Amino acid sequence: MSLYLPIAEMSVNALLIIMISGGIGFLSGMVGVGGGFILTPALIFMGIPPSVAVATQASQITASSFSGVIAHARRRGLDLRMGMLLSMGGVVGSTFGVWIFAVMKALGQLDLLITIFYVFFLGVIGALMLWESVAALRRRAKGGPPARRRRKRGWAHRLPLRMRFPQSGLYISVIPPLGIGLLTGVLAAIMGVGGGFIAVPAMIYLLRMPTSVVVGTALFSIIIITALVTVLQSAQTQTVDLVLAVLLILGGVVGAQLGARFGARLKAEELRIILGVIVFATALRLLWDLVAQPSELYVLGR
Amino acid sequence: MTMVRALLLVFALSLMAAPAHAQRRDDLATGITEEEVAVTSDYQGARLTVFGVHWQRGRAKSDVVVLLRGPGERELVRRKRRILGLWINADPVRFSEAPSFYALASTRPIGTFLSASTIANLGLDPGALARLEGSTPADSDPAAYRRALVRLKKANGLYRESPTGLRLEDDGAFKAPFIIPANAPVGAYTVDVFLFRNGRLVQRKPGEIVISRIGIEKTIHTAAHTWPLLYGFSMVLFALAAGYAAAFAFRRR
Repeated sequence: MSLYLPIAEMSVNALLIIMISGGIGFLSGMVGVGGGFILTPALIFMGIPPSVAVATQASQITASSFSGVIAHARRRGLDLRMGMLLSMGGVVGSTFGVWIFAVMKALGQLDLLITIFYVFFLGVIGALMLWESVAALRRRAKGGPPARRRRKRGWAHRLPLRMRFPQSGLYISVIPPLGIGLLTGVLAAIMGVGGGFIAVPAMIYLLRMPTSVVVGTALFSIIIITALVTVLQSAQTQTVDLVLAVLLILGGVVGAQLGARFGARLKAEELRIILGVIVFATALRLLWDLVAQPSELYVLGR
Repeated sequence: MTMVRALLLVFALSLMAAPAHAQRRDDLATGITEEEVAVTSDYQGARLTVFGVHWQRGRAKSDVVVLLRGPGERELVRRKRRILGLWINADPVRFSEAPSFYALASTRPIGTFLSASTIANLGLDPGALARLEGSTPADSDPAAYRRALVRLKKANGLYRESPTGLRLEDDGAFKAPFIIPANAPVGAYTVDVFLFRNGRLVQRKPGEIVISRIGIEKTIHTAAHTWPLLYGFSMVLFALAAGYAAAFAFRRR
């Protein structure tokens, strides 16, 4: 079934897009990460202009995060105060990110910016995922107890401007949460991702939040950030494609819900390896496009 | 194609019925199967046929060329350069009035019966139509950029040439099928039919087709560009509603 995208100004196979976003949503639902950092490159590989892919993807993440946060809020797995702080940082970060996006688009270097961000973050994350899963599998094979993190007070606890977070049982400086939100916002604007892959580990290891509230809180801030990115991209670059968004939301949200249900019955480590391989391979492919001698030296742009 | 045939027949008959003086003046009559193309949500590009009849005069060798041209637009061509090991877009060159879409159909390759200057003067070369705007970067060849523009547009399916795609029947009728892909822009397209005899232009018939968005496609495109902020907010509301609906539909009982 082919469908014409009014903003991308091209005809796409609607079923293919729904299937890809659904498949990636399913996988990410099983593992418990957002799928933006695989879906956006997939859309770009399919020939959708990078600017449209990134900007439209933000609205898909708003939808899937909102469907996820409801369940967490019901279980009280949400630190609202922390979520507000992350979002405040995110507002600054995403505003800055969309501004950079527009400037680079005008300079004709947007594709380069997006690709470099992807190569760096996908490379690091893919490698970490693989490393962690292999280590976990080894531990399990040896039959030892899972590695224990020592809970000690980090530098987040020593910085000034401290605040109490009753829901997380923390008394820490507001600077690290604002900083995490800021970085998440920049990534959301430039990469079309939720930024959960940065925010969640940072909240666990840096802020030492209890894991029971981390995901819900991260989702809360991601909703605020991606909603803002959607509005800002619409206003500044007019690259949010409503028809594409409907397809992505349809596939992604349903896929993630099914994946989450299905994944509860599966071992996560094997899945994490698969996802790690996909992420790492995507990074390599993008890096290759940057460094290999191109067959066509000239490019068209407006 | 039966429809095209029927149209051709009706067309030829109506011409025969036309007054004699009209026949003397005109050596060429043309028509287009579709003069208005609507971009709807299932738009996959358009197919149209330019058809007509020409009158043979003496033993001269006749050739017909049909040129379908989209609105002119500014184009930017950049050349990749290796910086710090990465291939980066650099050295931009701007062209004004480059045809956004360009399709040529002829009875024979035009180079075989037209001189290079005639081809350029009649606009039968998309590269020649694109005007260089400003200066080119130092140590670069403007002609290489011009060739790159044509090559890239051809790769996108926006510049098409069909040097023998026009069939000339013995009775003087001809037809040239065209495909306009979905990525071609909307707007007014010109259709020019040229009749040559022994390589000399005898007659040129201009025509026009219009590609326009209609319905939901038009609403969305207009909204995104006219009320971008409102568009963004509605997008967010829609996303939240969809997320809520999914959470509701999939909640654990």
